[in-house]
Amino acid sequence: MRNRVILAAGLLTVMVTACGSTEQPAVVEQIVVRDRGEAAPVVEAGAGTTDLIAMGEDAFQVCAGCHVVEAGARSTAGPNLFGVVGRKIGGLESYSYSDALAGSELTWDEANLDEFLADPAGYLPGTDMLAGAVRDEEARAAIIAYLANQSSPSGE
Amino acid sequence: MNDLSPDEKKPSKLAKWSRRGFIGAGVLAGGGLLIGIGVRPGNPIGALGPKVAAGAGEQLVNSWVKIDTDNIVTAIVPHCEMGQGAHSVLAQMLADELDASWDNVRVMQAPADGSYVVSDTARMFAAPFTLNAADWLEPTWDGLFTQLGKSMDLLITGGSSSIRTTGQHQMRIAGAAARQMLIGAAADAWEVPAEEIATRDSMLVHEASGNSAPYSEFASAAADQPMDHTPTLKTRDQYRLMGRSKARTDIPAKINGTAEFGIDAVPDGLELSYAAVVRPPVPGTTVTSMDANRAEGMSGVLQILNMGNFVAVVADSYWQAQQAMNTVGIEWSQSESPVKTMDDQFAVFASALDGAGDTGGDQAAARGDAPGALADAATTIDAEYRAPYLAHAPMEPLNCTAHVADGKCDIWTSTQVPLMARSEVASTIGIGADDITIHQQYLGGAFGRRLGSEYVAMAARVAQATGYPVKMIWSREEDTQKALYRCADMSRMRAGLDESGALVAYDSVFTQRHDPAEACVPAMYDIANTSVRVAEAELHLPFQAWRSVDHSQQGFFIESFIDEAAAAAGADPLDYRLSMLTNAPRHTAVLEKLAEISNWREPSAEGTAKGVAIVESFGTIVAEVIEVDMTSGKPVLTNCWAVCDAGYVMNPDGFRNQIEGGIVFGLTAAMYGELELEDGAIVQSNFHDYKMLRMNEVPNIEVALINSGDVPVGGAGEPGLPPAAPALTNAIFAATGTRLRELPIAKQFV
Repeated sequence: MRNRVILAAGLLTVMVTACGSTEQPAVVEQIVVRDRGEAAPVVEAGAGTTDLIAMGEDAFQVCAGCHVVEAGARSTAGPNLFGVVGRKIGGLESYSYSDALAGSELTWDEANLDEFLADPAGYLPGTDMLAGAVRDEEARAAIIAYLANQSSPSGE
Repeated sequence: MNDLSPDEKKPSKLAKWSRRGFIGAGVLAGGGLLIGIGVRPGNPIGALGPKVAAGAGEQLVNSWVKIDTDNIVTAIVPHCEMGQGAHSVLAQMLADELDASWDNVRVMQAPADGSYVVSDTARMFAAPFTLNAADWLEPTWDGLFTQLGKSMDLLITGGSSSIRTTGQHQMRIAGAAARQMLIGAAADAWEVPAEEIATRDSMLVHEASGNSAPYSEFASAAADQPMDHTPTLKTRDQYRLMGRSKARTDIPAKINGTAEFGIDAVPDGLELSYAAVVRPPVPGTTVTSMDANRAEGMSGVLQILNMGNFVAVVADSYWQAQQAMNTVGIEWSQSESPVKTMDDQFAVFASALDGAGDTGGDQAAARGDAPGALADAATTIDAEYRAPYLAHAPMEPLNCTAHVADGKCDIWTSTQVPLMARSEVASTIGIGADDITIHQQYLGGAFGRRLGSEYVAMAARVAQATGYPVKMIWSREEDTQKALYRCADMSRMRAGLDESGALVAYDSVFTQRHDPAEACVPAMYDIANTSVRVAEAELHLPFQAWRSVDHSQQGFFIESFIDEAAAAAGADPLDYRLSMLTNAPRHTAVLEKLAEISNWREPSAEGTAKGVAIVESFGTIVAEVIEVDMTSGKPVLTNCWAVCDAGYVMNPDGFRNQIEGGIVFGLTAAMYGELELEDGAIVQSNFHDYKMLRMNEVPNIEVALINSGDVPVGGAGEPGLPPAAPALTNAIFAATGTRLRELPIAKQFV
């Protein structure tokens, strides 16, 4: 008899774990930016500003899927880019780089970052950064300006 | 008390159940035949027909097989296809009983409707076949379990159960019944005795009169034939498709890219918007504030939603939604969980085990007098084992497409539990289950993850809030960090050996017991005094069944500790196991075969060694030997041999695929699998820090099969996994003398 009770617990486990909690809070806040079909407002990266760093911060959003730029923050898929300008290539100790970057003796500066971002695998064959090339020259310059700013104390 | 001894298991009721079933038949539009199982007299059959075969004229629903006028046989399967090959092999079983031509067999996913509950799975979970039910009760059980299955939404794919439940007890009966009816129709038309009509390759042949016809010719007439509710099933020597490695029906579409997974869903006539989401970093916390200023100005953004327990950004494309999501600043409430790191979690486990002491906790199983025998033993050994939390990490990230309009809801997703998902949506958005349609897609992996449905309910909430159709996709990071998990656990084990080294007492106590109930019990071994105890402890991360469930950690605990006992006895680990399997002839045969194919008894090369483990799970016995090369100081996996006894293997190639997949999944977890906590949140985020075993790290794998015969057929999806980790750590012990009592392995050899 006890046998039955114990074995029947298996079903209960499946039920409880498969259903999970169904208690859901109400929608707390709903910001409707625009309706579907409505033309999207034309927003260029950094539109209305000539501040290269601010433009770069906007343009950097395409990089933010893989990189954080925050002093001391843990790297995500790509290394934390805080302080990248002036850092040895492949130099963030806590990050596991490809051999291509780990083996480089160079230091990141505006010039080689520009070359790298234009064509990562072309500049450093073997890099794991297979996506994320920034073809637009101005966007690249802005991103680098932003990153250089994030290297200095004023960026904190 | 739960008795462990294998020789006292109750006789199987399987054969009896396989002979029963409620069958109905109907005529398809255009004159085809439709056979159903599980339709009882008086059971309303209206609503399902249009879902099974669109068009007027369908009569019967709840169907498992259709034969159309082009002589195409369609098997309607209630299980989902997540790479395990269930669709194809279930069709293979049906087609064999029907004597259908395999080239003209198609597979259709059964709609997610209560009429398609896998009542046999319900039966398996609620009351295993070995349960000793009074015979007079049995007839009522069939209906009972169908009802139970319906009320509990048991349209489940899991538990390595598709072949051994639905395949054995529904698909085969449907095929055999259809064949008899076709023969009956042809016998009437040709005016010959039914017994003289042969069937083969979807053809009816009466040799004496020279008559022959394709099934399609009599498909309509067959529906008027009396139907045998207990058709005679083939014996093994009569199989033509079962037991053979027939090519899988789902592979061509997966090769040419036409297969539609959940993430590919593009429902006709719907213009989709896309949602990216962020869930709480620590389970149970909620959004306290949201700063979406930046996201509001970003390209493609339609809406930003604070849903209380998650945040969503809806945009014209997924990329735009995710980019905008990345810029939203969110503050979360404080978690009340005392667990901030894995050290804290293991401290919680240790405290529960301390509380249970040497004899406390809930007794899960017992035989003899373990405490007494331990006290009297010549030698005792003690060990503490640990297992980490693990993510399912399916290749296809969690996603769901939902449309809520006019009081109805349509869902396109990949799920192992469509009816439970439907119920969860119903209770979440307040629409009745009958007004919710789940459109099932292929699953790009699940491993138990898609037994949970919270992502389906989330998409429904977002779609309800926007009012237009939305495809929600979790990022890989969300999938790794904010999901449901294989639980961590800790097990304390003690063994008592007599003067000869024989294991006379065994005691284990651990904190997590989910499913299957028997996973924690070393029942196959002849250990006179055994005690298995549970001292429950809180988990910080929510639990979800993970491929092989409790066997995934218990296999490691038990088979490592048995190895420790063998070492303490100075015995060969494989021979030591054999010496304790005197009442388990199938296990013995598996181990003996394994010793042979792995050259176990021959010395290994310098620096290499072999380890062995054996686990029976989901009805299948699997033993594995893994060979490891330690000459570099780090484990390099060179070879793996596995021997499996599933009673009977329906598709050897498909079975091997599953065993190999289970081994690689198990070795991945053993080598790398680990989720660490920082401030209560998961640290690992993506495949760069939650690593998979790469091609060059996978050992050569050789799988041998034993069809031992008259036992219930066992599963395939999970049983390959549990022996992998202990076989590997036992090999590392054999090579180095270092006993690994926690996982993962790789970081212990940096």
